[in-house]
Amino acid sequence: MTEILIQNAVKRFGKFVAIDDVSLTVQEREFLVLLGPSGCGKTTLLRAIAGLGMLDSGRVVIDGRDVTYLPPRERGISMVFQNYAIFPHMTVFDNIAFGLKMKKTPKPQLTERVQNAAKLLHIESMLERYPSQMSGGQRQRIAVARAIAVESPIILMDEPLSNLDALLRLEMRAELKTLLSKLGVTTVYVTHDQIEAMSMGDRIAVMRAGKILQLDQPTRVYDHPVSQFVGGFIGTPPMNFLHGQVQKNGAGYRVKLGDYHLKPPADLEAALTAWDGKSVLVGIRAEAMEPTKSPSPDAVQVNVDVVEMLGAQNLLTARIGDDTIKVSTSPDFQVAVGDAIWLRFPENKVRYMNPEDGQVLNAPSLEKVLA
Amino acid sequence: MRPSLPHFHCPYLQPQAFQLAFTREGQSLSLRAEALPDASVTGTLPLQTEVRVIDRQQLDEVLPNGATRPVFWYYVSGTDANGATVEGWVNQRSLFIENRRTSETARVTGGEAVREWTFDHLNRMLADFRFGTAVSTTLLLMVLIVPAQFVLAIIMALVLQSQIRGSGLFLYIYAIPLGISDLVAGILWFAIFTQRGFLNSLLVSAEIIELPFIFIQADHMAWMIAIIVLAEIWRATSIVMVIVVSGLQAIPRDYLEAGEVFGASLWQRLRHIILPLLKPSLQVALILRTILAFQVFAVVIAITGGDIMTVLSNETFRWYDPARFNNPSVAAVYAGFIMLISLAISLFYMRAVRSQEEAVKA
Amino acid sequence: MSTEALPNIPAVSPKEPMWDAQRRRALIGVRLRRAGVYAVAITIAVWVLLPIWLIATMAFSTPQDVRAFPKALFPNPISLDSINFFLNADGIIRATGNSIFVALLAVVLSTLLAVPAGYAIARYMFPGRDAVRLVMLSVRAFPIVVLAVPLAVIFLQLGLFDQPFTLALMHTALTLPTTVLVISSVFASVPFEFEEAAQVFGCTPLQAFARVVLPLALPGIAASAILTFVLSWNEVFAAILLTLSNRTLPAHILYNLDKSSDPFKFAAAFVMLVPSLIFIFFIRRYLFNMWGQINK
Ligand SMILES: Nc1ncnc2c1ncn2[C@@H]1O[C@H](COP(=O)(O)OP(=O)(O)OP(=O)(O)O)[C@@H](O)[C@H]1O
Ligand SMILES: [Mg+2]
Repeated sequence: MTEILIQNAVKRFGKFVAIDDVSLTVQEREFLVLLGPSGCGKTTLLRAIAGLGMLDSGRVVIDGRDVTYLPPRERGISMVFQNYAIFPHMTVFDNIAFGLKMKKTPKPQLTERVQNAAKLLHIESMLERYPSQMSGGQRQRIAVARAIAVESPIILMDEPLSNLDALLRLEMRAELKTLLSKLGVTTVYVTHDQIEAMSMGDRIAVMRAGKILQLDQPTRVYDHPVSQFVGGFIGTPPMNFLHGQVQKNGAGYRVKLGDYHLKPPADLEAALTAWDGKSVLVGIRAEAMEPTKSPSPDAVQVNVDVVEMLGAQNLLTARIGDDTIKVSTSPDFQVAVGDAIWLRFPENKVRYMNPEDGQVLNAPSLEKVLA
Repeated sequence: MRPSLPHFHCPYLQPQAFQLAFTREGQSLSLRAEALPDASVTGTLPLQTEVRVIDRQQLDEVLPNGATRPVFWYYVSGTDANGATVEGWVNQRSLFIENRRTSETARVTGGEAVREWTFDHLNRMLADFRFGTAVSTTLLLMVLIVPAQFVLAIIMALVLQSQIRGSGLFLYIYAIPLGISDLVAGILWFAIFTQRGFLNSLLVSAEIIELPFIFIQADHMAWMIAIIVLAEIWRATSIVMVIVVSGLQAIPRDYLEAGEVFGASLWQRLRHIILPLLKPSLQVALILRTILAFQVFAVVIAITGGDIMTVLSNETFRWYDPARFNNPSVAAVYAGFIMLISLAISLFYMRAVRSQEEAVKA
Repeated sequence: MSTEALPNIPAVSPKEPMWDAQRRRALIGVRLRRAGVYAVAITIAVWVLLPIWLIATMAFSTPQDVRAFPKALFPNPISLDSINFFLNADGIIRATGNSIFVALLAVVLSTLLAVPAGYAIARYMFPGRDAVRLVMLSVRAFPIVVLAVPLAVIFLQLGLFDQPFTLALMHTALTLPTTVLVISSVFASVPFEFEEAAQVFGCTPLQAFARVVLPLALPGIAASAILTFVLSWNEVFAAILLTLSNRTLPAHILYNLDKSSDPFKFAAAFVMLVPSLIFIFFIRRYLFNMWGQINK
């Protein structure tokens, strides 16, 4: 059964369209991450699921029930707010118990559930304290405890880790992921931190300007971005984009990159006919290239401009034609600025995109999917 | 910053008020050691005391134009306020004496003002038959007005916060009474409730009653109270509304949304989130409104005329008014009384709030 | 976990027949709730506006219509007779002049005092700063009735009684605490960096204040000046105690209330009300800033 279903959601603030015809399915017990740059409408979409702020058109279905116009408390959801929204005038206990109290849960059951939630988040010793006496990390735990104490099947989280310092964020990330999968709840998780998205999500919805660009498993989003934007947004360093030219090569096509030729995979041949003689974008991840220090016939020669030694990898910057390219190598790959190296582009790691709109050339068209 | 008690901090004004309230300005006659205006004083006699004339002396008094005229001084003996016999010289001007040269007795008719501490003015206030009704009416008005204002102000604030269209217009409308004086508010509601007013026009036109009902008259105390309460709620709720709205704006939206998400109904959100977080603002507004409630004045006069019904500040004015009692001292006692009672109530609020907080902490 | 979920497929309209019914039901609830809010909002607005409408009706009716019974809800015919009658009554012009004089003087005095004081409180940490704030809050809550009687007597002794400027002093004293706090909050909202920048580019501190801070703070200062004007224009208790032959408008009206006819009273109320309506309109945006700051 589908847990959350959003159809053609539109939300405007005045003339500004914050959510632009978004459709989305979140499956039961799935961990879905909404990822995108600031202002792209992640929070707005999450709030539409929660029932905070009504959609202008479209439909939200939760657990088989159209809840588009229902208030939050009738939707069977709970939520962790970005700034936690822990009530300052209540003890930790009362904060965690808040949702249960509002539902008039009997006292013994309430205490038990609060205790359980507190135990899961290791804050059972602080129940009598006030939030003002707590650190950011502890408050975050209270917020999560409050959200799981109500035992609703869906938890919505809006950048719950963004107010924590880097180390704590790393720690909480793993903890939260374990906890949520143990509870078996459906989670929609908003973040603009792509590492968080990659490491936590079962699927990632990459958003931009109110639209979902790609909704996929993290590895697919990483390896097969549907557009230049997605490839550039995800991964550090971002995907490299080079300008190549499509040329006829016998029966098929090849893409010219400087004085080097890439061989596109066979299933792209059909798409490339329209691009004969034109320029396309060639996308490749920094770590997908195979650098060597000696010439190789199927590799392109570049000169190293910058060497950054980052510990786990060496990041080289070089030029191909007019384009800059970043190459990630193992730390053992010792080169100096000015050295010539040779890069091999594995056929299955290269993506070809339309330089005008940034879309990949063989993207399944929407009509085909809908059909 | 917690609002702290306001009233102690006005050192330069209180002495004058208390002086007014306590100093007797009665007159009595000073008896002098010699027949001279600047001779040392040996005793005093209250006015109207009968005295024996023991000796007399004729002196010449020099007038401003240089001429002289005869003036008698008498050595008199009489009984002072404590029952002791005092003797001394006094000027003829201070006595009523039948024959300046021969009479053996006289009566004290003039004297000088003496200043002494007294509870006369306090007693006069307490003994005044309007004092009791002034206190009870003022308190009754306060008890009726203040809670209603808070309920209405919170409703107004919630409506304004609910993001309806035109909330800017509603805000202006709700804030209008802020700029309206109590006098004008009183006249407005007088226009509605007076015998030939709008309410009676409506009731008679709709044939609900045949003759206009006289709401404002001495034996319809309940009606007059009700009208004043309406007028004051109408006029002074705005200021509470402004305080509540600005307090409400200071509450992060997150808290209210968290309340919604975790299943709180509007009432539960009000009860468990809004009111507790609004407490500091409400406290300021409560103290302010209570103090102002003791000063309700022009509304009462505009609606009732101030004679058939009275409140403390009206009494203050009546005692002060040169055209009526012309007694600033009793007026000052009233003023001091108003100050003490508003102080006491503010203290009570603070205590109540604090003990509640301690109960929460404990 | 549904790891084998189909990638990147937007949810295509599966549609259950009951969804539309659920949606309609919920929408009715939403609409009802919103209609309820509007109903409450409009009811309160009517409650506020109705008395004002009625008094305006009276003010624009002929004196005969004002005395008539039953009264109409609209002036018919519209006439300025009642207002003229009020304005031409004995002493009204003079009392209005006094009121304006007192209010303007109070505005000037309290602004002149409050701008430096508010600036100091907003910008400088000096010993006793909190105490100053506290004392000012206290004076604000000090009952005017308590202040008026002794002041009247002091003015009487000093020979200053019955002079409008002493009343202006009294009103200044009454409004000063509020004005100082409001203006200090206005200054506090102008970033100090602006001034520092001006000084870096060669202004003296005074120039920096006059050229950079003051223009930014002017609307707020104007709002608090208007508030002072309204308070002084409306204040009646101190006015009636401190003046005798030089009454301000409210004091004059109140003192003669029992001798006044209804057309006089209602026209008086309307005339007194109009400036307040206009002024509140101009400062409505600032009301919350003012109180938000003062509450802290
Ligand atoms: N209440 C509102 N009124 C007007 N515009 C709004 C409102 N809320 C959001 N917006 C606009 O809608 C857009 C999307 O906002 P949203 O908060 O959803 O972004 P976001 O993706 O969550 O960004 P961030 O990562 O910064 O939180 C933004 O451009 C924002 O300016
Ligand atoms: Mg956001």
